[in-house]
Amino acid sequence: MFHKRKILYTIFLIFIFSFLFTGSATAVTLFNDTIEQGDGYQINNFVIDVTEVFASQEAATLRIYEGESDDDDYVYDPFLSVGDSYEFDIEDEEAEITLIDVYSGVVPRAKLLITVTDDDFINSNTEGVVDGGHSEAEYSLTPVLKISKSVDNDNINVGDVVRVTVTVENTGDGEAQDVVFSDPQQPKFILVDDILGTPGRMDVAVDDSPKKIYVYDLKATEAGTFSLNPTTASFTNSVGETFPEVSSNSPTVIVEATEDLVNATLDINTELDAYSVERNSEIQGLLRIKNTGTTSAEAVTLKLIIPDGLEYTGGDPSIEEISGVPTIYLDSFGIQQEKEIDFKLEAKEIGTYTISTESSYMYDDGVNPELQEVSSTSVTNKIYVTKGEYDYLFEQPVYVYAVPLVIIGGIVGWIYYRHKQYKF
Amino acid sequence: MLNILIIGNGQCGNRILDAINREAFGKKSRLAKFYSQQKYKSNVQTIAINTAVNDLKEMKFTKAKDRIHIPHLHGVGANRNVGKHVFEDNKTHILRQIEDRGNFDVCFVITSASGGTGSSFTPLLVKELKEKHDYPVYAIVVLPFREEGTLYLQNAAFCLRDVRESGVDGIILADNQFLKQMGGNVESAYNGINDMIAKRLLFLLDALDSEMMMVTDLGDFKTVMGGGAGLATIGFYEADTEMPVRTAIQNALSPSGLLFSSNVYDEASRAMIIIKGDKERLSIDEISTEVEKLSSAVGHVFKGIIVRNGELPQVLAVLTLESASELESLYSIAVDAIKHEKEKKERVSNVKEVDRAFSQIDGMDPSY
Repeated sequence: MFHKRKILYTIFLIFIFSFLFTGSATAVTLFNDTIEQGDGYQINNFVIDVTEVFASQEAATLRIYEGESDDDDYVYDPFLSVGDSYEFDIEDEEAEITLIDVYSGVVPRAKLLITVTDDDFINSNTEGVVDGGHSEAEYSLTPVLKISKSVDNDNINVGDVVRVTVTVENTGDGEAQDVVFSDPQQPKFILVDDILGTPGRMDVAVDDSPKKIYVYDLKATEAGTFSLNPTTASFTNSVGETFPEVSSNSPTVIVEATEDLVNATLDINTELDAYSVERNSEIQGLLRIKNTGTTSAEAVTLKLIIPDGLEYTGGDPSIEEISGVPTIYLDSFGIQQEKEIDFKLEAKEIGTYTISTESSYMYDDGVNPELQEVSSTSVTNKIYVTKGEYDYLFEQPVYVYAVPLVIIGGIVGWIYYRHKQYKF
Repeated sequence: MLNILIIGNGQCGNRILDAINREAFGKKSRLAKFYSQQKYKSNVQTIAINTAVNDLKEMKFTKAKDRIHIPHLHGVGANRNVGKHVFEDNKTHILRQIEDRGNFDVCFVITSASGGTGSSFTPLLVKELKEKHDYPVYAIVVLPFREEGTLYLQNAAFCLRDVRESGVDGIILADNQFLKQMGGNVESAYNGINDMIAKRLLFLLDALDSEMMMVTDLGDFKTVMGGGAGLATIGFYEADTEMPVRTAIQNALSPSGLLFSSNVYDEASRAMIIIKGDKERLSIDEISTEVEKLSSAVGHVFKGIIVRNGELPQVLAVLTLESASELESLYSIAVDAIKHEKEKKERVSNVKEVDRAFSQIDGMDPSY
């Protein structure tokens, strides 16, 4: 019986202790130390100033400020004696201040125990002892950057220049610091003048007038409707908190085609005098070039790609064989200029072939700083090489040729012998 | 097989020799030498001798090695005395060329009696051959047109005499004057005469070396040629249509078939007749009748028959002459020619008196 009562008593004690320890674990101790008079302890935007320490009376006066406030603009001002506590709410959590002790001296001090029911809401950047109290505290403010991108003309022609201006404005309650802007390159436009240059890392204060960060000129190179890529910025606030990247708007620019853009267009045509020939026949070819564009072509290169069954046998002096490929090179080919280049081929093998003409040239379109390069390939109609008139001669066994040749050789030899016999 | 040597002397001899070689190819084409062989039955060697290189060059069917050029400008200019000197100077060379070709059974030397080289070389050559060899040598001598000129007639007269005195075994006469009845221009006439002589000689060579139904051989030929006055002629006829062999024999013996004008029934001494053709066309009766007719006039006639299937009758007659009225006529003209030449020379001698007149101013110069 005694044992039974003893066991029940033990279980009860364990339950009691467990309950007690579980309840005390919910309060988190933030601070348990001394603070000099005039200093404070910051929890986010709240600062607990130790206003005055009364060592002789073992009491102290505290003032609790929220945000940047004047000295008299406090929220709470508890007067605590040693051993007293004061509770107040911070961002839906409950904080408790207990005056543990006071100390006299040149600078009186108070030992405080500060606990909160949960410290998850506390920003580590804004937590701790603040020398000088609330007036020296750094508060976590929220900068809001607004980036605006604008163009001076949203309807231009190809080749026209449009001026792009990007501004930034901080509409938040705190300075944006370490702001880094990024302005991606704009396709279909070329940068012709960067007036302000690339902005460096900067701070953007609140309520400043919009600040120009980019001013540059773009030249449109192609017709179409284009949305300019947005300018982005990354930044932190004064306490180093990183905020999500912000982007500017994307102004739309309509670029219309213009006749001022010039090009060189080479019409290349390769014709042959016959497309069905017998083997070993000659084929006359004619390469016609005409520049139907609006500017001259430069570095014109034409390559005649002759298949194996055909053989290039000669042609216009302007044709050079480079690595076995008949090639024509023209430094410049003017507007509406025409040229005819003849060449000769020999059909070597029976088969069906085509001749490719690979062309490449460059021109200045008057817009882009680089020369425009054009490459193309044209192919002739099919060329049918059939058996030659005497091909059947070569289809016979060797003796078919050898025997007559021997006979003819014998006859010739005999005639020569006879001629020598009778030549006086 | 007989070994036969045929020598052509001078331009005329060269041309007849070339015609013989051409006929031997059996083709008329100029290219026959390139695709055909000469159809000599015997071992026939031909040699052309001339002082005029151009005459030798004109030969087309005689091998180059068979053409012997005796260098003396371009001929002897129809001067037999010059020709004799040239022969003497080159005798050794000529005879060595002949001897290099071996020994022979019979030799024929063809020449014109009227030219320079042939008429002067032939008598001397015959004489040398006869002295050095024992085979018979027969001369085929072509007599000139009577109107060809006094020099030619004079040459013909002396040449014929020299040949006859050279020891030759017989002279077969061919008379251009008689043969010009064939008509045509000079070139075709000469060529025709050359062809006639060539054809007859080839027939004779063929007959001398052929197997015959009735045999005539070289011995018979020698006998025939040994008769008469040492002069002979050849008659020939080749039927081109069906005709009796009798007619062919008569045509061969008629003036149109002979090389030299003669009345064979009156002037011939011995004869040899060779008849060739298809045996169906060779009537023995007709042949015997004609041969008997001839033999009754001339004495002995050798008769040979060669059978060649499918061939029309061909008749060759070799006739030696006892007399030749035509030859006498030639010599009487030649005598006139010799006199004419002598008179002309005397006139030239007189002209030299003019030279003496000029000689009076020799060594003097005109003064002005």
